[in-house]
Amino acid sequence: MSLYLAQISWLHRLPAGLKLFCLAIATVLLYPVKEVGIISLAVAVTLGIYASLGRSGLAQLKLLKPLFWMMLAIFALQYWTMGLAEAWILLGRMLVLILLANAISMTTRMDEMNAVFQFLLTPLRWLGVQTQRIAFALSLLIRFVPVLVSFMHALLAAWRARGGQRRYWQIIAPLVVQALRMSDQVAEAVAARGGIPKIKN
Amino acid sequence: MHTPSIELSHVTLIREGRTIFDDLTLSLNESRIGIIGFNGSGKSSLIRLLNGLLTADSGTISINGKDPSKGPAAMSTEVGFVFQNPDHQLIFPTVLEELIFGLQNQGKDKSESEAEALALLKEHDRLDWKDLPVHSLSEGQKQLICIFSVLLLKPKVIVFDEPFSALDLPTRYQLQKVISTLSQQVIMISHELDGFDGFDRLVWLGDQGVVKDGPTEEVITDYKQHAVKTAES
Ligand SMILES: Nc1ncnc2c1ncn2[C@@H]1O[C@H](COP(=O)(O)OP(=O)(O)OP(=O)(O)O)[C@@H](O)[C@H]1O
Ligand SMILES: [Mg+2]
Repeated sequence: MSLYLAQISWLHRLPAGLKLFCLAIATVLLYPVKEVGIISLAVAVTLGIYASLGRSGLAQLKLLKPLFWMMLAIFALQYWTMGLAEAWILLGRMLVLILLANAISMTTRMDEMNAVFQFLLTPLRWLGVQTQRIAFALSLLIRFVPVLVSFMHALLAAWRARGGQRRYWQIIAPLVVQALRMSDQVAEAVAARGGIPKIKN
Repeated sequence: MHTPSIELSHVTLIREGRTIFDDLTLSLNESRIGIIGFNGSGKSSLIRLLNGLLTADSGTISINGKDPSKGPAAMSTEVGFVFQNPDHQLIFPTVLEELIFGLQNQGKDKSESEAEALALLKEHDRLDWKDLPVHSLSEGQKQLICIFSVLLLKPKVIVFDEPFSALDLPTRYQLQKVISTLSQQVIMISHELDGFDGFDRLVWLGDQGVVKDGPTEEVITDYKQHAVKTAES
């Protein structure tokens, strides 16, 4: 996940619903694919989309950096157990879906995303559930994922700066504390502008 | 200019077993009021009481006759709240979305809200900001967006919780200028004492509630002396 791109591109102009629909279709279609050629084509098209967003679009590919080792490990494991073609198919599919989801989040305004969620939740509304709140919560979640990632990087840096070893899981507790504190602050900010009322504390 | 009447009477506030205010009675009616005090003295708690983010355990608070214990949503047209850290206040990815959020909560539809937000940006010569991603703005610009988003709700008093803490000196002076030109009543917390230039009144909070309350210069002089003594002891 990354942040919203300033420069308005063709992808910004597409309706949010259409973008999410295409992502869903791509997920379903790519799932059964077994041909190296098709996967390679999908990867190429995805990279093409990033390139069409200009330099700032391409720069967003750096999002893959933190995932590099994980991807390499998955690729190696797959290569070892199933062979090269299988490994590439799995990796390619993962790349395409991650990158497409990211492309949507960096070119879609939060209120558009919100509207789509509200639409998808329509059946729940018929049951009397307050879907605006759920949709708002989902949009907030997407909005704050990059912030959480930045918390994680900051904590990791602090951890290493003081000679922390490989037991990285030890930053989980402070990460949760930071996330909770942030959620409190966001809830206050929402309430202070007349949004969802805050529960008395 | 009309200043609202803010009255706290016999307010007690307890947070996690600690008594922050015990029988506090205070009227806040001057156009520019500063709040100072050491860390943990209850400054932020005081202003959170004003817009209902906190509720008093006993006593009454009235802002132009409205009771903030009804909750912050109902108070958002009376009290505008600018938080210390813009990153906690700015929720939306783009400037325009951020600005219309409060208006939509007031029940205005999207096009009406956008028209009002754009008019405000235009008035401040910042129309080109409308589609910018909030995270691409500087700290000072973010703080300005926070102020704009609050101004749109037309509150009668604007409350600032340490607005200068993340700003460099020129940006701070700029923001100070913006604050000084606001037609609303301003209540501001700050640890930077020269940020209170031109303020009518300063309220100094301590462990036992209000330590000193009066004209800005007077309170600052005593406060500084006390801080020096505290550091030495
Ligand atoms: N979220 C919280 N939950 C419970 N108690 C809190 C919370 N925040 C602050 N307190 C308590 O309330 C007291 C007053 O805090 P407050 O934030 O109002 O002080 P402050 O004067 O704004 O301090 P600072 O200058 O550090 O911002 C603190 O001593 C703390 O114990
Ligand atoms: Mg404070």
